[in-house]
Amino acid sequence: MLNTLIRKLSGHEPSKVAAKKRLQFALVCDKLEVNDKTLHALQNDIVEVISKYFEIDRTSLELKVERDEDTSALVFNTPIRCVRRSRV
Amino acid sequence: MEGRIIVVTSGKGGVGKTTATASIGAALALEGKRVAVIDMDIGLRNLDVVLGLENRIVFNIVDVVNGRCNLRQAAIRDRRIENLFLVPASQSDNKDVLTTAGVDRVAKQLRKEFDYVIMDSPAGIERGFENSVTAADEAIVVCTPDVSSIRDADRVIGLLYSRSITPKLVVNRIVPEMVERGDMLSHEDVLEVLSIDLAGLVPMDEQVVIATNTGMPLVLQNDSKAGQAFRRIARRLNGEPDLPVVVPSVKGGMWNRFTQKLGLKQ
Repeated sequence: MLNTLIRKLSGHEPSKVAAKKRLQFALVCDKLEVNDKTLHALQNDIVEVISKYFEIDRTSLELKVERDEDTSALVFNTPIRCVRRSRV
Repeated sequence: MEGRIIVVTSGKGGVGKTTATASIGAALALEGKRVAVIDMDIGLRNLDVVLGLENRIVFNIVDVVNGRCNLRQAAIRDRRIENLFLVPASQSDNKDVLTTAGVDRVAKQLRKEFDYVIMDSPAGIERGFENSVTAADEAIVVCTPDVSSIRDADRVIGLLYSRSITPKLVVNRIVPEMVERGDMLSHEDVLEVLSIDLAGLVPMDEQVVIATNTGMPLVLQNDSKAGQAFRRIARRLNGEPDLPVVVPSVKGGMWNRFTQKLGLKQ
């Protein structure tokens, strides 16, 4: 109790505050991690859907997860050869 | 009525799964239930020594699953606690020797013979974990109030949810002095991070080491705070879900001793 008081008066943060912050950050990051197998399956599905509407270059497409300090984004890049007119 | 299968798991090793399994199992048996504790840590068995039954092993869980013996031959009856049985792990095989189908088959039989079946899961989230969880109706996740154990607990909780099991948490090895100083996460902090229901709180207790040294079940030591905590956890599982959670507290501090003398606190 005395320790707590001294710490409060000195403005020193107890170590559990750091523990909790680090833990919460780690858990969020852990949940955003995607394994290669999932990413690969996702890429195949996306290509299949896009191919219905566009002719794309399958060799130079790119799918990745971009992570920032507090956001995470899925980025899919593909060159388009032409639009499939037949569907319209 | 069919028995309940409860898996005790944690992700991280060394947080007290085996002690928790032994203690909760023994406590449920003391409540008058027929209990089997199963060591699923194939290749690294330890539940037998924690319970002091290591010199009575004849058959093990791998023998049962593979049909080399029947369940009754493998289950060791504890002579100190009535209705407590141990099915030990095999020490010579590795974890891949069991399949979930094999475990499920034996689990059916275990449900018929016992009121409670407590599965002591190995650390990790691979095959051994799968085998321990496959037949479980309920789960207890054990963690200690430190960052790595809580992170692993979170992972395991996620895996249990994906199997439609809603686990309950045991926070083990709480050091009240450190919590009070702010140098250890409190159980409230842990619950906030993991958002999970609590099964109970267990203080750090030297008696655990002593009980393991002698192979005497912790719950039989009346002066053990951890033992008492595990007995309360067992009661909560066994039809008393509202039994109040006792938060481990600092005893013997100057203020505490003062208030105790005045009769303000027990």
